[in-house]
Amino acid sequence: MNKEKTRPMKAKHARKLITSALLCAGLAGSLIWLRVGAQQQMPTDAGTLDKATAEKSFPNKPPYSPYAGRSFPTRPFFGDTHLHTSFSMDAGAFGCRLGPREAYRFARGEEITASNGQPAKLSRPLDFLVVADHSDGFGFFPQLMSGDQELLATPQGRKWYDQIKSGHGAEAAMDIIVSFGQGRMPQGFPLPGTRAYRSAWQATIDAAEEFNDPGHFTAFIGFEWTSNTGGNNLHRNILFRENGAKASLVEPFTTMAPLGSDNPEDLWKWMMATEQKTGSEVLAIAHNGNLSNGRMFPIVEAFGKKIDRGYVETRNKLERLYEVTQTKGTGESHPYLSPNDEFANFETWDKGNLDGSVAKSKDMLEFEYARSALKNGLKLEALLGVNPYKFGLVGSSDAHTGLTAMEEDNFFGKTTPQEPSPERLTKTFINNPKTGVTIMDWEVSASGYAAVWATDNTRAAIFDAMQRRETYATTGPRMTVRFFGGWDFERADATNRMPAAIGYSKGVPMGGDLRDAPTGKSPTFLVAALKDPIGANLDRIQVVKGWLDAKGEVHEQVYDVVWGDADKRKPGANGKLPPVGDTVDVENATWSNTIGDPELITVWKDPNFDSRQRAFYYVRVLEIPTPRWTAYDAKRFAIKALPGTSMKFQERAYTSPIWYTPAN
Amino acid sequence: MKTFVREPLVHFLLLGAVLFIAYSLVSKPGSSDGPGKITVTQGQIENLVSGFAKAWQRPPTSEELAGLVRDLVREEVYCREAMALGLDKDDTVIRRRLRQKMEFISDDIAAMPEPTDADLNAYLQAHTDRFRAEQTFTFSQVYLDPEKHGENLARDISALLARLNRACGQAEVSALGDSFLMERSFTAAPESEVAKQFGEKFAAKLGELSPGKWEGPVESGYGAHLVFVSERTEGRVPELAEVRDDVRREWANAQRLELNEKFYQELFKRYSVTIESPLVAEVQR
Repeated sequence: MNKEKTRPMKAKHARKLITSALLCAGLAGSLIWLRVGAQQQMPTDAGTLDKATAEKSFPNKPPYSPYAGRSFPTRPFFGDTHLHTSFSMDAGAFGCRLGPREAYRFARGEEITASNGQPAKLSRPLDFLVVADHSDGFGFFPQLMSGDQELLATPQGRKWYDQIKSGHGAEAAMDIIVSFGQGRMPQGFPLPGTRAYRSAWQATIDAAEEFNDPGHFTAFIGFEWTSNTGGNNLHRNILFRENGAKASLVEPFTTMAPLGSDNPEDLWKWMMATEQKTGSEVLAIAHNGNLSNGRMFPIVEAFGKKIDRGYVETRNKLERLYEVTQTKGTGESHPYLSPNDEFANFETWDKGNLDGSVAKSKDMLEFEYARSALKNGLKLEALLGVNPYKFGLVGSSDAHTGLTAMEEDNFFGKTTPQEPSPERLTKTFINNPKTGVTIMDWEVSASGYAAVWATDNTRAAIFDAMQRRETYATTGPRMTVRFFGGWDFERADATNRMPAAIGYSKGVPMGGDLRDAPTGKSPTFLVAALKDPIGANLDRIQVVKGWLDAKGEVHEQVYDVVWGDADKRKPGANGKLPPVGDTVDVENATWSNTIGDPELITVWKDPNFDSRQRAFYYVRVLEIPTPRWTAYDAKRFAIKALPGTSMKFQERAYTSPIWYTPAN
Repeated sequence: MKTFVREPLVHFLLLGAVLFIAYSLVSKPGSSDGPGKITVTQGQIENLVSGFAKAWQRPPTSEELAGLVRDLVREEVYCREAMALGLDKDDTVIRRRLRQKMEFISDDIAAMPEPTDADLNAYLQAHTDRFRAEQTFTFSQVYLDPEKHGENLARDISALLARLNRACGQAEVSALGDSFLMERSFTAAPESEVAKQFGEKFAAKLGELSPGKWEGPVESGYGAHLVFVSERTEGRVPELAEVRDDVRREWANAQRLELNEKFYQELFKRYSVTIESPLVAEVQR
């Protein structure tokens, strides 16, 4: 214990202090947000060598990028487009203490200390990261502290305080989210145009500039627009293609009127104005719609306005990607929507909206899951001429910890209270006594990542690949997935040793278009997947087809196209492939790669093609069963999971679709 | 560094910040209103207008501006009433953020000095492993799927290895081995990049192979590989000029952490702490 007592300040010194203090006050205030200037220069890989060394071992200057000289992407880049840090008001309230810089450090592979004090490190670095803090309330807490009495004085602040003081900090954080969702944030909430807001945005930009390292690690500038009216989640993540000089010409769009709006159409207006003003392209990735209660993918009207040509055109142009899986569940499809798909029941959160204030009814599902939206997109295209739901797929974390740690055996949770501890197997995450909607911590998914087929690891290359939808989602594993569509793929192409070269030369990659079928031809697809180098073998690859028939009805079909252990595994009389098996030892949280295959590849031809019907095709890759994060927790903390806790599952990847559009 | 924390400037800033907060708590900037009076100043209105213009890329209409002002007045009324009720007191969210705010102040003080090249060079030399230019490999690989070869794997590997070495590096690798989704040849790939694609063991093994001939099998998470390393550049400690930005960033971060800790230690010295629980050991820091 320190024995020194408080020392009286020297009188002379004190007088000087007091007379200077008021002068200093403004300076100190502005210093609070002073940050190291942005680093604009790019480091170079090639380095400078002395001549002798160069002649000996470095006869040719290596190309800047190991992929230089290739016109197509040779490996997918893995990253997260949706990570919150302490700059997000709810993350801060949950106790997150890591800011954007720490988030970038962690993503590029450094060991850092999590907010709850534990050391944290990824098994291997990610290739890119978007720190996407909530635009509403950027700088909420700093503003609170700089003497904005409006915030200090609100009844809500008082309530949150009491909750935190009595050990219910997570509840306070949920309440902040709920209050925000219901538009009940305190008076004095920070808004664009204020110094606190500007500073927080600039600090976000500066962090991205500092850690962006072209060729090695891409740090995107972005934010999350958090439209949440009535607790229905319509969030979007916004990414800038260009650098900080351009991004700092604007401030993020918010949702609170009058400065902001909760209507996506207003966000789109802001995006178009921003592109004009900054000269930087921006794109929006819609948040997993599973907590939107049927509002993510409207087909008749949105915000009281009929879906018209303007809506579908703008959405098609600006929302090229959709976040199909994240910590708050997976939204590919749902057993109710896809009763014949035995793999549709995967990590679904189908009890209500984001705050549990309205329970889910079955009729909402069609308008918030990816597959049904892709189908309805075909309908709208037939009706209005443009498909608003022509999106590619990515996964991301939506973690509020500053830590994009989404592996089952290295899961750092969605929020700071859910960082590894014995409690997270049994605690409640969302509980709304009015509606009875309850979500347990164990239901949170250790998912996911975005895989992008970019030609290089730079902002521009990755952004452009996102724009052309050459992406896929994974629930965490870093498997490699190729998917090409064309009219002339043949069986032999699957045994070719350069599948990518064949794929690009004879077809279009995931996210692309096939049009006007040549007479008598059906679309053919080159499909391949390679397991995560440190992960589980693959069970199977499936192609999911959706189409619009002559009567205007939509349909779907899932095909098993290639599978592991093919020598002893054949589809049964019902056409279904038998399960791959299961080597998971839940108690010890282990499995073995004795079943399944490390790599699968085939050429598949649509057996039921009608050239007059609009259609889409996307690929789903399943791993063999592995332990879920809950099994690792039960083992490592030596505790028992609650009855009904899911302890193992089949992780997966979902590619962007390839669309077929007939001539007329 | 200790002297730095004792600098009068540091104390000035600190006390200045505290007074700034205290001052703004008791007086609304730009107004000298009495208890029952609210004045919306021209400056505040300009602030509202510029905030709106930043969000919407256009100025507000007069109707919108009236709405903004009405909202500001409402805010002011609520705030004053809430303050009068003492709702701002004793709030843990606020306490948590006050701490964060102090850390921000401490951060910014730490960020002020600009390092000299000598500072950075010393930091670089003390942390060479962190800034090391990685070793890079120019190599080709041929893959063998253990499942396809079964118990003949070892035999097939030897046969293929012999065949490749007879071709003296001229073999058409894309036609040999089993089909595999990854690239066959890599140019100057850094070790970390190899590790990302093939796993760490494979990358480490590459460093042990002698360049100029086919070697293997090298195991990866996928199976067995035969590998021809044509060039390997050793890792090395770069010159400061090559990595200046990185060193500067890391140096600043280290300074920040160190100064923050010292800053706290200085403050902590002013307190004597009593913990009324035998279970908790003495708080050292």
